[in-house]
Amino acid sequence: MSPVVVILGMAMLTYGTRLAGLALVGVAVPGFWLRFLRFVPIAVFAALVVPALPGDRGEWLVRFVAAVLAGAATWRTRKLWVGILVGMVCFWLLRLL
Amino acid sequence: MSLAMSRSSFAHGFRAMMPLWLGAAPFALAYAVTARAAGLGIWETQFMSLAVFAGGAQFSAAGLFGVGASAAAILLTTFLLNARHLLYGLSLGRVIALGPLERIIAAYFLTDEAYGVSVAAGTTSFRFLLGAELSMFVVWNSFTLIGALLGQGIPDPARLGVEFVFPLAFLALLIPLLRTRIDLVVAGFAGLVAILSARLWAGGVAVLVAGIGGSLLGAWLTRGER
Repeated sequence: MSPVVVILGMAMLTYGTRLAGLALVGVAVPGFWLRFLRFVPIAVFAALVVPALPGDRGEWLVRFVAAVLAGAATWRTRKLWVGILVGMVCFWLLRLL
Repeated sequence: MSLAMSRSSFAHGFRAMMPLWLGAAPFALAYAVTARAAGLGIWETQFMSLAVFAGGAQFSAAGLFGVGASAAAILLTTFLLNARHLLYGLSLGRVIALGPLERIIAAYFLTDEAYGVSVAAGTTSFRFLLGAELSMFVVWNSFTLIGALLGQGIPDPARLGVEFVFPLAFLALLIPLLRTRIDLVVAGFAGLVAILSARLWAGGVAVLVAGIGGSLLGAWLTRGER
C-alpha cells in the first residue's frame, strides 16, 4: 500500500481520537465520572513525567537532581518557562562535571 | 493586564507554548531524519506532520515503514498511541465552552502539550487553546521541513539531551495541580503505573493506561464528595 494512503489512514484515526472526547461535551455525566475527569490532568501529567525522567543515556542521576531543582523553582514561581530553564541549565551544568 | 485577559487571547496561548519549542524542534528534526532514512520522500515526511501531527505516532510509523511493516500494523500502533487524546478532549470540553465548528478545529491540532498548557493556564477560551495548538503545529512542521531537506547532514539532537524539556515541562504543569493528599496519591500511582506499562508498551499507551488508572483511583478515593 502506498505510504500516502497509510498516512491518510493514520490521520483519520488520530483525528477520531481527538474529536471523540470534544464531541461528547454536553452529555450528562454521572458524579463518579465527573470526579474521574477532574483527576485526568494529574494522572496524565504524572504519566508523562515519571517514565521519561531517567532517560536512556545513563544520566538518570543528573536528570533526577535537575528535575528536583526545576520542581522547586516551579513550586516557588508557578511559571512553566522558569521550571524548564532551571531544569535544562542544571542538567547541562551537572553533566559537565 | 488582567489575569483573565492573559488567559483568553490567541497570542497568549501561542506564547504560553514557546518554552516547549526547545524540545519540539529537535524532536521534529529527528522524526524527519528517521522518516527519510526509512525511505519516505520529502513530501511524504512533511505530509505526515501536516496530517497526523502526533510526534510519538509519527516516530513509530517512520520506524515501521523502515522495517517494511504492514499498513494494518502501522494503523493499529497509531490508534493505540493516540487513544489518550480521548481523555484530553473529555477533560478540555468540560472547562472550555466550544461551539460545533470550534470543536472540529480544536480537535485537529490537539496535543499533549496544548492540553497541558491550557489546563495549567486555567483558560476557558477557544482562542487561547487554538493559539497554543498552532504554536506547536508551526514549529513541528517547520522543523519537519528542515529535517526532511537536510536529511542525514544534521547532528544528532539526542546528544544534547533536549528531549529532557518534555518531562520538565509536564512536571512544571503537574506541580501547581497538587493541592490535596489525594492529588499526590493519584500522581504517585499514575507515575508507577506508567513505569510498569512503559516496559510493556510504547509511551502513548502507557500514558493512556496510567491516565485511566490514576483517574479511576482519584474518583474512587473522593467517592464521599458530592
